[in-house]
Amino acid sequence: MTRTVRDLMHPGVLACKPSATLGQVAVLLSQHHVHALIVTDNKGQHLGIITDYDLLAGEWLAVDAESLAAMQKLTAADLMTFPMDSVDAATTVRKAAHILNARDINRLVVTENGHPIGMISVSDFVAGIASKEKPARATVADVMSDSILVCRVNTPLISAARTMTQAGWRSVLVVDAKGKALGVVSGKDLMPFVEKGIDLALTVREVMDPALTIDMTASLREAADKMIQNHHHRLIVTDKEDPEAFPLGIISSYDIVAEMANPSSVWQK
Amino acid sequence: MINQSIGMGEQGRNERDKFESELDRIIKASDATGVILRVIGSLAFQVHCPKFGYLQEAMGRAYTDIDFAAYRSQAKEVKSLMASLGYSENREVFIVSEGERSIFDRTSAGLHVDVFYDKLDFCHTILWEGRLEIDRPSIPLSEMLLEKMQIVQINEKDIIDTIMLLLEHPFGDTDDEVINIKRISILCASDWGLWRTTSMNLDKVRQLAQGYGQLKDEQKKHVSIQVESALARMEKEPKSLAWKLRSRVGDRVKWYKDVDEVE
Repeated sequence: MTRTVRDLMHPGVLACKPSATLGQVAVLLSQHHVHALIVTDNKGQHLGIITDYDLLAGEWLAVDAESLAAMQKLTAADLMTFPMDSVDAATTVRKAAHILNARDINRLVVTENGHPIGMISVSDFVAGIASKEKPARATVADVMSDSILVCRVNTPLISAARTMTQAGWRSVLVVDAKGKALGVVSGKDLMPFVEKGIDLALTVREVMDPALTIDMTASLREAADKMIQNHHHRLIVTDKEDPEAFPLGIISSYDIVAEMANPSSVWQK
Repeated sequence: MINQSIGMGEQGRNERDKFESELDRIIKASDATGVILRVIGSLAFQVHCPKFGYLQEAMGRAYTDIDFAAYRSQAKEVKSLMASLGYSENREVFIVSEGERSIFDRTSAGLHVDVFYDKLDFCHTILWEGRLEIDRPSIPLSEMLLEKMQIVQINEKDIIDTIMLLLEHPFGDTDDEVINIKRISILCASDWGLWRTTSMNLDKVRQLAQGYGQLKDEQKKHVSIQVESALARMEKEPKSLAWKLRSRVGDRVKWYKDVDEVE
C-alpha cells in the first residue's frame, strides 16, 4: 500500500504568538523538543512558520551591543517564513519528498481540509527509509549497528538511516580509520532516496557532505555565521591544536537555540 | 547628498595630464615586469570611458591620487616596482593594514599611489581573486561598478563616475566591454548587505542623474533604463538561504561597515 504523509508525520502543531521574542521562541522549541513552531494570531489564523534555523539569525547578527539590542526586539512575526510550505495529509510520501527536495526545505506543515494537523520533516522521511530495511538475524553482524553517531565511509547508507532514527539523531559523522572527520551525512542528504528509492549498495561515501569544522573555542555567533553562510545545520567541533584528531563533538542549530533558551542567556533578558 | 568632498573641484588640464601620464608610466612598467596592477578609482573610469570621460572634467570631478588593485602574493614586486619609479613607501600603512594596503608617495611630483591587495574592504568587501587578469589596465567593469555601489555614504564623485560608466557600457553576462551584471547579481544574491547597498545606490544614481544640467535628456533617460535593467536582473537572481534570512531582519540591524571617506 502506498504510504502517505499521514503515516510519517508528527501529529499536532505547536504554535506561538506573532509577538513572541526570539528568546521566547527558543524556550518553546527547547521545552517541547521541536524544531519549528507555527505562528498564530489571536483569531487562530496561521501566519507563518519559525524554525530553529531562523533563530540562528539572532546569534549571527548580534555582532555588537547595538545589533544585539535590535535583534532582542525582533519577534516571531519578523523572522517567520510565510506563506508556509504545506502538504495535504493524503499526499504520497514520494510526492511530499519531491516537494521538499525541489524547494530545498526541511519541513512541511501537514494539512487536512486546509487546516494544519501536523508537521513532517526530513527526520520523519529518514525514519521512513530506515523502516524499509528487513535485516536478517542470522549472525551478530546482521543485527549490530554499523553506526551509532559515528561511522566509516563504507557504512551502507541504509544502515546510517536506521542508526539515525534509532538514536534520534539528525546526522552521522563519517570518520577515517584514525578518527579524522571526513564528512557528515544528514537527513537532508537522504531525501533524494525517498523520492527515487534507495540502492542498498550505496554507502555514506557517496552522499556525505564534506566536513565543515569549527574550533571548540569559537563563539556561538561564529558557529551561527558558518551554518548560515554554508547552509548547514550542524558543524563538527574540533580542537585547532590537533585538527586531525577525532572530533570533540557536533554543534547543531538546535544546540544554539537551546542555549538561547537558557535562563542566563542574553536572549532571556 | 551632493557635497564638495575630496575628488570634487576644478582641475586644470595640466594637472589632469599629470595623473593620466603617470598612470600610463606605471602601467607600462608593471606590464614590463609582469606585476599585475589594475587601476581603480577615477582614473579607471576615465580610461574605460573614452566616449563619456569628458563628463568628469565637465562635472568638476578631480583626480586626487592613483589607486590600484593588486594581489598580495605580488606585494614585494609591487614595492620594488614603485621604488624603481621613484616612489617611497609609507611602510606603516602596510603593517597596520596587515598587508592589505600599500601607500606610495612621490612628493616632488605631488603624486600619491594607493594599492589595495586582494580586495577592496570598505562598507562591503569586493574580492579581486581571479578577476585582475580579466581586463587591463583597469579592474573589470563589474568590479568598477561595485567599487562605487558598495559605498553607503555615496558622494557626488562616485555618482559622476557611475553615470559615465552606465552611459558608456551596456550590461551583459560577460566581461568583454560590457558590465557583467550576471556576476554582480550572483554576488548580491549571496550577500543581502551588498544587495541592499548596491540597489539603494543604483536608485540614487538614477534619481541624481536627472538633476545634472551637463547631461542631455536622452542621456538621463539612458541612465534610468540602465539602472532599471540592472535592478531587474539582480531581482531575478535566486537568493541564498542566508540572504533570505538576513532580508527578514532588514535595516533593523546595520548591514555595512563604517568607513572614512573613500578616495
